[in-house]
Amino acid sequence: MKKADRNITEHFRINITGSEIIISLKETVTLVNSSDFNINLIESHFTDEIRLLTIDFSGLKSYDSYLVIFLSNLKGICKSKGIPVNMKGVNTRLAKFLDAFSFSQKKILAEQEQSGFWLNYFSNIGELTLEAFHDIKLFIEFLGELIVKLMGLIIHPPKMRWKDFPFHMMNAGVNAVPIVVLIVFLVGIISGYQGAMQLRQFGADIYIADLIGISITRELGPLMTAILVAGRSGSAYAAEIGTMKVSDEIDALNSMGFDHLQFLVLPRIVAVMLAMPILVLLADLAGVVGGLIAAVSTLEITSVGYINQLQTALSYGDIFSGLIKSIIFGFLVATVGCFRGLQVRGGAESVGKYTTAAVVTGVLSIIVADAVFTFIFQALNI
Amino acid sequence: MDSKPIIEARDITVRYDGNTIIKDVTFDVFPGEVLVIVGGSGCGKSVLLRQVTGLELPSAGKVYIDGIDLTTAKENERNKIMRRFGILFQSSGLFASMTIAENIALLLEYYTELNEEEISQVIELKLRAVGLEGYGNYLPSEISGGMKKRAALARAMTLDPDILFFDEPSSGLDPVTAASLDILIKNLNEALGTTMVVVTHDLASIFSISHRVLMLDKEAKGIIAEGTPDELKIYSKDERVYKFFNRLA
Ligand SMILES: Nc1ncnc2c1ncn2[C@@H]1O[C@H](COP(=O)(O)OP(=O)(O)OP(=O)(O)O)[C@@H](O)[C@H]1O
Ligand SMILES: [Mg+2]
Repeated sequence: MKKADRNITEHFRINITGSEIIISLKETVTLVNSSDFNINLIESHFTDEIRLLTIDFSGLKSYDSYLVIFLSNLKGICKSKGIPVNMKGVNTRLAKFLDAFSFSQKKILAEQEQSGFWLNYFSNIGELTLEAFHDIKLFIEFLGELIVKLMGLIIHPPKMRWKDFPFHMMNAGVNAVPIVVLIVFLVGIISGYQGAMQLRQFGADIYIADLIGISITRELGPLMTAILVAGRSGSAYAAEIGTMKVSDEIDALNSMGFDHLQFLVLPRIVAVMLAMPILVLLADLAGVVGGLIAAVSTLEITSVGYINQLQTALSYGDIFSGLIKSIIFGFLVATVGCFRGLQVRGGAESVGKYTTAAVVTGVLSIIVADAVFTFIFQALNI
Repeated sequence: MDSKPIIEARDITVRYDGNTIIKDVTFDVFPGEVLVIVGGSGCGKSVLLRQVTGLELPSAGKVYIDGIDLTTAKENERNKIMRRFGILFQSSGLFASMTIAENIALLLEYYTELNEEEISQVIELKLRAVGLEGYGNYLPSEISGGMKKRAALARAMTLDPDILFFDEPSSGLDPVTAASLDILIKNLNEALGTTMVVVTHDLASIFSISHRVLMLDKEAKGIIAEGTPDELKIYSKDERVYKFFNRLA
């Protein structure tokens, strides 16, 4: 009979007797000395002849939760090789300890079963897709209900809670002005500068005004503003409403016979829809001025020339198409924010998750809507 | 009690995402009684309250309030019925952006014709009833947990509801404050005849306030015992019930 006796560390000893491998734990098995337990090294002792693992606890003096981790690793090895495990020298205190961590073989086997990277990968994709479809379905339901309520608002304005409305206008509109103006101003400078470099090669300096004017009013102004509002107000709405959901405030509202859509959601959406075009007008102005600065400083044109050219280049259609878009963007951003907030369930961590989702979905819906608008405006020749 | 029940819950089943939380729960609540619902954490007590109070529609089953089916009532009608309820939520549900007084005033502004002077009198009255006089101008975040519970109770009582629902009113409170809340509940019940449905784990409050107890169980997904607290404590043969009522309080 071959007898191997290898002392691997002072904390455990591996003995192999025929087809049985005996792991004797000694002294301490703790998180602090966990580095002594090299599970790969241990696994290398599990040759094909091994038919039984015996774990001997009789020498064990102190242990903490690392013991549970170590044992479940051992059991994992045995499971993959189909070897039964035998536990020896378990005193009542240790038994209670293992019990408290519900170290039952069943549980660990169940955990082992769901491993496999690719399987997880594909099942995650599947789950996320299903969730996305589910979310879209719920969102469309929400939109439907909301549009009915919005229409009702036109007939019956007192139904909304107007008291909070100025506050929301202030938050979504007035407070957003500095950042929106700054960002679009910078975007104006950047695209003005980039455009100038190209136009100069053709001696088409003056057309910088067309380039800036049209790109800012039609696309960049509304788009940048909407993205900023999604980051500011969309996320804030998700967080506010989500927190209210967690603290039972939405239930309280409904239980008092108030409709949370009319009370919380509509004021926010209407505020953003009204604030957006105003913000975009200011953004357009800032962007055009930014472009002017870039143009005057890099090209051979004067500011008067730039403004004159701007007047001939820009039509009302350019500006209004941007404003119309911005109202819809505002609607989408605020609606998505409120919708995500209402999806919150459970605790505070859920608020964070849906706040992030509010921004991501908000921005996504803006871009999709923008693509749709591009087609529509082209077809209508606006 | 031989009067007609004010709440009749019939075969209420609730499923979330395919998981059945409670199944075929049937019970009555009689006018003027204090019914306590007990059961382990996660057994669906809060969920059951949401069905009975009309906040959610059960997956199956009916809830009758004074004979009117809440589950099929039109929105207007349901709101009218729900206005007869006062609900104290597990996390108080006070509107965080409003002061305590504004929380109470909201209902009065919408549902009564009272002028400002009268509204502030009602607020003062309600706050005094729960021992919070002078705290009207505080925000919910500025008062303690026990005070929040009492403020929420004041709000729930605003329109003098016929039925008050409490979801764990004494959780997170020290025994003395919890006992004072019990006394408040008892006084309200005796003085105004308000029907009360109370979810609680607290043995002391069960024995001090309840007329009747329902016990829910997570595995059974429904009611496993019903009776006065003494009946359940002394006579129940069910081990789960025995254990609950005979643990050291
Ligand atoms: N909106 C929901 N969606 C999915 N599951 C839910 C929802 N609400 C509750 N549940 C589940 O229903 C079960 C019962 O929850 P409930 O809040 O009623 O417990 P409870 O009896 O009030 O417990 P506690 O005493 O801890 O408050 C829980 O397992 C919970 O996860
Ligand atoms: Mg609960």
